[in-house]
Amino acid sequence: MNVVVLVKQIPDPANPYELVDGRLKRGVAQKVMDPGDEYGVEAALRLVDQFGGEVNVISMGPAAAMEAIRRALSMGAHKGVLVTDDALGGADALATARVLAAAIKRSEFDLVIAGVESTDGSTGVVPQMVAELLGVPQSTFAKEIEAKDSSLTIKRQTAAGYDMVECPLPAVITVTAGVNEPRYPTFKGIMQAKSKPVDTVSLGDLGLGGDDAKPTQSVDAVNPAPERGAGEKFEDDGTGAAKVADLLKQLKVI
Amino acid sequence: MNFTFSDEQEELRRTIRRFLEDKSPSAEVRRLMETDEGYEPAVWKQMAQELGLQGLAIPEEYGGQGFSFVETGIVLEEMGRVLLCAPFLSSVCAGANAILNAGSERDKENLLPGIASGEKIATLALGEPGGAWDADAITLRAQRSDDAWTLDGTKSYVLDGHIADLIVVAARLEGTAGTNGVGLFVVDGDADGLTRTLLETIDKTRKQARLEFSGVRAAPLGQPGAAWPALSKTLDQIAVCLSAEMTGGATRCLDMAVEYAKERVQFGRPIGSFQAIKHKCADILLRVESAKTAAYYAMWAAADDNEELPVVASLAKAYCAEAFFFAATENIQVHGGIGFTWEHDSHLYFKRAKSSELLFGDPTYHRSLLADRIGI
Repeated sequence: MNVVVLVKQIPDPANPYELVDGRLKRGVAQKVMDPGDEYGVEAALRLVDQFGGEVNVISMGPAAAMEAIRRALSMGAHKGVLVTDDALGGADALATARVLAAAIKRSEFDLVIAGVESTDGSTGVVPQMVAELLGVPQSTFAKEIEAKDSSLTIKRQTAAGYDMVECPLPAVITVTAGVNEPRYPTFKGIMQAKSKPVDTVSLGDLGLGGDDAKPTQSVDAVNPAPERGAGEKFEDDGTGAAKVADLLKQLKVI
Repeated sequence: MNFTFSDEQEELRRTIRRFLEDKSPSAEVRRLMETDEGYEPAVWKQMAQELGLQGLAIPEEYGGQGFSFVETGIVLEEMGRVLLCAPFLSSVCAGANAILNAGSERDKENLLPGIASGEKIATLALGEPGGAWDADAITLRAQRSDDAWTLDGTKSYVLDGHIADLIVVAARLEGTAGTNGVGLFVVDGDADGLTRTLLETIDKTRKQARLEFSGVRAAPLGQPGAAWPALSKTLDQIAVCLSAEMTGGATRCLDMAVEYAKERVQFGRPIGSFQAIKHKCADILLRVESAKTAAYYAMWAAADDNEELPVVASLAKAYCAEAFFFAATENIQVHGGIGFTWEHDSHLYFKRAKSSELLFGDPTYHRSLLADRIGI
């Protein structure tokens, strides 16, 4: 089973970030592979351990995104593709999906795994667009994966519990943070990652033009989330419970 | 010689830091301090089987990964930073190195794979109740009767001695003195005639035990009576490992002090803006940076296994121990009242600094070794 994992290099979520013109400042701050992608890499490695095949890691981003691919390779992935092109600066979800789909199509694949959403952009729509562009079924929010030769059963996380979803391969799935515990790379893995093959390709190499990368969305303004105001205080003179109950009723909680 | 770490070594450091922040937060350290075992077997297993840390510097032919003291030093620095409670110093730095230095090919093949895989915990029993760490202090008797060796006497301050599966014991052959007649022997943790008692220590993040040997049968490691050079080298390697670990602890104390100095406001401004606090932080930085330099050079000398090792090992042990203790003490001062409370972590670093300072020889002992070794 050949599995493609989509990964993204993001600024370390542990550090403060800065926005410039509504876009993330990609400065000198430490960057890491999106922690959400580690679950995808781990899921792919387990499937390949079980069925054989290779894990191919694909990322779009500036040249520095190579580090995210190396991280996945150090965990045990076999090879990688980095799509990097100046024309892709500011690419939105659709442009990103076009690029990733074109990169995925360059080789045979049985399954594409992505995180539910990126930790920095959080659009959560790229994997669905990729599935549509590839013309394969998609199955999202997997919290458990079970594969057979030509189909996949997942437990799809829902607000109430989970759905059992079965889909034929090839397919695109997204995995939640609960799906597994990603492995830590060994030092040997880190050393070996250096010599694993990674293709660096441009838009032209994928047969795409500048129009495909043009954003169809633009960010007009970015505002910080409003701070939480102070809550209402009730002096308990014997009627406290009733007042709290009234408030909860007002909020339609009870 | 490289003066900087490679990208891969930096990645190793990041990986270990993340792992340890996840598995060894303060609450976990405090939980393990209260246990007799003093470590979490599940984390120990993950360290061995997933990250391959116990076998990092053990040669591949004995089940390890075949890297060097530089990588081990990076790992130890990160362990020191979070006060990881685990028998790493005892099993890997002391036990495995003693076997590598003193053991025959067969000993290495038999004993090292278990240590590398984390299934066996080893330790080195050197110190005795007298509290000295040199050759003269080894008085535990090794006697040969027929084909077997037996050990009689008492060892103390044995790291993780109460849980070790495999104990490398330094013993003395009858009628010998000084560096002559020292032998290393391997004893099973549950051997007949061996009584193990967990010691009450100030630093509960690292357990120590007293071991009483009464006619305990033991297998010689290498040539009995001629083990001092191998043991001496092991002690130098342990000193290097401890230096790296202490540097990590000192760095954390610096970070804690600076963080608090920026955050704590008094008289309307952060206390870090007061000259007295600035000076303290600057002084800690100076010691920490110097300690790093000494520890890294020593790691390189140990990895290169060159003739500088004995000199730089003692230099690093003496300097890093004092730097860690200084950083731990000043960190408490910068914190003021809160630094003296049980709830704050600063006392944990203070106690670890004190125990590490004395372990395998205090700075005075190592400076005198250093003087001997450079011939003054």
